[in-house]
Amino acid sequence: MSMNRRSFLQLAAGSAALSVCGFPSLVSAGDKVSIVVIGGGYGGATAARYLLDYLPGASVTLVEKNKDYYSCPFSNEVLGGEKSMDDIKFGYDGLAAKGVKVVIDEVTGVDMDGKKVSTANSGKIPYDYLVVSPGISFRDNIEGYDAEVFPHAWKAGPQTVLLRKKLEAMEDGGVVMLAAPPNPFRCPPGPYERAAQIAHYLKHHKPKSKLIIMDSKDKFSKQGLFMEGYKKHYDGIVEWRSAANDGKVLAVNADSGELVTEFDEHKPAVANVIPAQKAGVLASSLGLTDDSGWCPVDQRTFESSVHSDVYVIGDACIAGAMPKSGYSANSQGKVCAAAIAAKVKGYEMPNPSYLNTCYSLITPEHGISVAAVYRLQDGTIAGVKGAGGLSPLNASDETRKAEAMYARSWFRNITTDLFG
Amino acid sequence: MHRRLASALSLVALACALGGPSHAADPSAAIVSKPCAGCHGIDGASKGDAPIIAGLSAPYLASTMRAYKNEQRYATIMNRIAKGYDDAQLDAMAGYFSSQSWPNTKQDIDAGQATKGQALHASKGCLGCHGPQGVSMMPTAPRLAGQYAGFLEQQMKDYRDPGKPIPPAAMVMRSMLSGLNDADIAALAAFYASQNP
Repeated sequence: MSMNRRSFLQLAAGSAALSVCGFPSLVSAGDKVSIVVIGGGYGGATAARYLLDYLPGASVTLVEKNKDYYSCPFSNEVLGGEKSMDDIKFGYDGLAAKGVKVVIDEVTGVDMDGKKVSTANSGKIPYDYLVVSPGISFRDNIEGYDAEVFPHAWKAGPQTVLLRKKLEAMEDGGVVMLAAPPNPFRCPPGPYERAAQIAHYLKHHKPKSKLIIMDSKDKFSKQGLFMEGYKKHYDGIVEWRSAANDGKVLAVNADSGELVTEFDEHKPAVANVIPAQKAGVLASSLGLTDDSGWCPVDQRTFESSVHSDVYVIGDACIAGAMPKSGYSANSQGKVCAAAIAAKVKGYEMPNPSYLNTCYSLITPEHGISVAAVYRLQDGTIAGVKGAGGLSPLNASDETRKAEAMYARSWFRNITTDLFG
Repeated sequence: MHRRLASALSLVALACALGGPSHAADPSAAIVSKPCAGCHGIDGASKGDAPIIAGLSAPYLASTMRAYKNEQRYATIMNRIAKGYDDAQLDAMAGYFSSQSWPNTKQDIDAGQATKGQALHASKGCLGCHGPQGVSMMPTAPRLAGQYAGFLEQQMKDYRDPGKPIPPAAMVMRSMLSGLNDADIAALAAFYASQNP
């Protein structure tokens, strides 16, 4: 029998070949450990998959409330009409096929001492390690807020459909207002990409309409690149009103449809109001948050600073310089899985490396990006100096088109990484 | 950790990454390489149009990432990302991805375009370095067969553009491409993308 590469690896895995290097193999069978992951978004789906990669013998259970997952990344393109809801819809069959036990159910509580997750319909699920990826919830910073009248569409799904329908029903000439939240929030460039995507729809279907960004801030992510893109493609359609320019929405009136700022009142045809944010409701109900409303963790492993053997990843956690993005959550899920694998197998975890890229589409042929590579520095996730940063200003149409191509490619690849 | 100890450890990690039987089994190579999947696909097996990097040769990957890091090769984003890694990490990643298998792809390619590209591939002498079907036997020339058309087309345009940086080792590509127009480049990309040897 000729020895192919795979059989050589199998032999090597059990031999001294690896121990010479001081690293035990990540891949071995019989890791009798139970890990429960709560939340099947960018963080949780990644963690579940990579936990099984690193610990093939482990029992990995993913508990997720919804059967169908709608991706926030590219949901702005649904609002702009370039993607459908089906394009951003994913299921958990791929993870189940890889061996993840998928439980579609609601978590009703966690017994941290007894190490059991309680569910509404699936009983109690015991765990040795718990990974929580609960996403975001909204603060009450806007008086009178009503998500049916002023959809946030900041969790993709029915809210996205609702906002899209309102835009479609609007008469040509109507004004859309997009109220952008204060920091920190999920997807820092998201509101500004959304403005471009809605403007893309208006330009082609309702050319007399315009969109005003009502901002709680005086500056925002990729600002120069967005403003350049708005001017190039949506001059006279998109306007940005900073907080200093009375852009901050303080209250809304669900009966009249009005937005109230410090000095003025507005009655747009369609209002997309995105409230301030904090960690998902589950995080606070489990006592994983601090006074900031977010979850403090050991940024090397993502183990909660509050509860041992509980890990928090994704938008809900405090992750140093990393933005709250899908790519960040994906990268954190991998580090967290590696950390748990190291703990189970009893070796020291190698220095973690984290990565983030956020693409935004101004038009289908005009993409821009911000990227960063991170490492741990004095216990905090910090961007590597001299690396990362923004797409250049004044780039050629060809470069913008290439970035748009890579943005769509990113979506194909990362969703394959998440859902198979 | 002391810097000297840290660098000594990363040298050990590098030695293991380059000399060990399986890069995939080395936690430090894996931890630095796995995040790349967001853009380049699981273990480098991109679904397109970002390039497949799984199974490319370690010397090619290592020199390419260094070129991006040093602004010697034009990129939309890899120049910004490559600067985030030191040489040991770049070599660990090169080892990791070179140990993965190239995934077969099936792209929607116009047959006429591919035929035109095949003729150019032969007449312009591309096969000298990239092989008859776009699979090079030289570790310094990347596999083109089955790579994504969108990426290949963009790369050839970037290599042709005298205003954009190009690695010294790839200067030959600039002269090879200088006589080709956009339609020729699109045809060549279609040919390589259609190959699945």
